[in-house]
Amino acid sequence: MDWWFWPLCLFLFTLVIGIIAPIAGVGGGVLFVPLTTAFFPFHVDFIRGAGLIMALTSALSSAPQLVKRGLANLRIMAPVVIVSVVTSILGGIVGLWVTNAFPKGKYYITIALGVVLFIIFVVMLTSKRVEFPEVKKVDPISAKLGIYGAWYEPSLDKVVEYRITNMPIALPAFAAVGFIAGMFGLGAGWANVPVLNLIMGAPIKVATSTSMLIITVNDAAAAWVYLANGAVLPIIVIPSVVGITIGARIGAKLAVKAKPRIVRYIVLGVMLLAAVLDIYKGLAGLGVVPKVF
Amino acid sequence: MDKDVKVDPMNITFARVMEVVTYLGLILMIAPGVIYLVTGNGFVSTADAVKYWDKPAKVFWETTKGIEISGYSWFLGNLGYMDCLSIVGIVLLALASLAAIIAAIFKADSKYKILLAILVVEFIIAIVRPLFMHVTGH
Repeated sequence: MDWWFWPLCLFLFTLVIGIIAPIAGVGGGVLFVPLTTAFFPFHVDFIRGAGLIMALTSALSSAPQLVKRGLANLRIMAPVVIVSVVTSILGGIVGLWVTNAFPKGKYYITIALGVVLFIIFVVMLTSKRVEFPEVKKVDPISAKLGIYGAWYEPSLDKVVEYRITNMPIALPAFAAVGFIAGMFGLGAGWANVPVLNLIMGAPIKVATSTSMLIITVNDAAAAWVYLANGAVLPIIVIPSVVGITIGARIGAKLAVKAKPRIVRYIVLGVMLLAAVLDIYKGLAGLGVVPKVF
Repeated sequence: MDKDVKVDPMNITFARVMEVVTYLGLILMIAPGVIYLVTGNGFVSTADAVKYWDKPAKVFWETTKGIEISGYSWFLGNLGYMDCLSIVGIVLLALASLAAIIAAIFKADSKYKILLAILVVEFIIAIVRPLFMHVTGH
């Protein structure tokens, strides 16, 4: 088989992910790592490294515009990432340590990835979104930091102002999310958005946009762990980043016409399949279940 | 209806710097990366990469180059190769947030100056930590 076969497959695969992710309302990274682990021959170290760079690149490409429009807010991000940067670095260290310290570490990580993906599947299936949550009382930390924001909402034709709350409850949640993102090379929009929207009371558009901003910092910090361990290979990263970037542009245009609900269910189905495959692949590697493929 | 939203200067400065560094990083990552993929020549040839990419990172480098990776010298010391040059683009992307945070400090109020300074310190520790603490599990 020619050397370019798998990079070309990876490019086409990430192109498809890039197209369907915006329609389904999920981040590309959360599909990339589990599916690539299930179907491609690369070691999970390099897949996580590429997943992290891919999620970082996507977030960096969109975050500045969202910040300028008032949708992503540094005032919310700063206190949150002070905690999650530390845990995302720890996650990266633990992830690489497991694959290197244990002869079958790769399979432990693959099983854990499947379990995490299953949790993500449940979170995405069950979590509700509140467009404009009502914040009745601002918590003392948010009040002291003066966290506020505003953006122009075209559907209402007015500037919407907002405040947030429950920072002390949200911080441990972001710590856990940071660890998982660093360990598995995932973007973490699936977890950031519900915490920002449902716990902290940020309007849904602010939550999705600020989540991007959080990813730019968390994933950048974790990326150094992978760079310093040689777990970033251009032959895997470049086709992935180019594929998802082109795909996301096509997907953003198609999202206007597509039926998001159907696509979302298809993506959730694929995620569930990837979770099962990852768990099976890990268990087969450990010899717990027979290897079928 | 007033459509002009006053976004605070700290946010605007952050966004501008992030945008510029991201563009530079993307160009520096993709241009040499594509040349590497087209020519197949690099610090690690595409043929070798394909042969051993199913091995853990540590084994991959021991097998392809006979080296143990610890820190950043593996790509910084080989910038004549397109694959390593492409990694420098990734480094710029990983630095984009740090650059934006440093710039935002100058526009921040006193509370956020402290928070952002803590973030800068965390980032710097994240960058230099691998030079002192090696993660191999052995």
